[in-house]
Amino acid sequence: MLASVLNIVLVASLVIHMVLMVVALRRLWRGENIVDRLLGADITTTLTIAVLVLLAVLNRNSLYLDVALGLAALGFVATVALAKYIADEQMF
Amino acid sequence: MESVFQLLAALAVVVGTTFSALGILGVLRMPDVYTRLHATGKIGVFGAVLLLVAAILVLPKGAGKGIVLIFFLLLAGPVTAHSLSSAAYRIGIPFAKPMRNDLAAVTETFDADEQAEPQRKA
Repeated sequence: MLASVLNIVLVASLVIHMVLMVVALRRLWRGENIVDRLLGADITTTLTIAVLVLLAVLNRNSLYLDVALGLAALGFVATVALAKYIADEQMF
Repeated sequence: MESVFQLLAALAVVVGTTFSALGILGVLRMPDVYTRLHATGKIGVFGAVLLLVAAILVLPKGAGKGIVLIFFLLLAGPVTAHSLSSAAYRIGIPFAKPMRNDLAAVTETFDADEQAEPQRKA
């Protein structure tokens, strides 16, 4: 019985994360300055990681956590590299 | 024992989702980029990490991956926020409300360094 409660909570959380993702993407699309848009990209990455973890728990399969780890690493490097590129016009 | 973990996992998911929602609410409400960065830290650190706690509780095989991911997210959150805010400050994005700018005194040294040895403009 408890597994069904967990599944309901997980599906509700997935729906909420979809709404949050729309907000983050709107910020990514309509940001007033460049750092705002980069911020939107960073939030989108983090929310995607959260969705992946939710899928991992929903399907009771720990493979999604590897995908989330890869995405976390890529998103982190991309955000920092872009921020440095914005700051002083060269990435490395 | 299994149902206790699932109960705790459900609780962790609920709290994690509320933190993510509050983080996005912070992003919408905050006046300028610098304060908005404060809100995004919550999503990355509290939102995802609490969901990972739920994942660790429910998935026996995924505990190691979850711990590595939690450690990475806790490490990466502040670094990205810092890099974004320093990029915003360097390209001169104004503060929404006038605030005490400790960095103003230091920025002259940035410009001085820049003149002393101009960076390799590719």
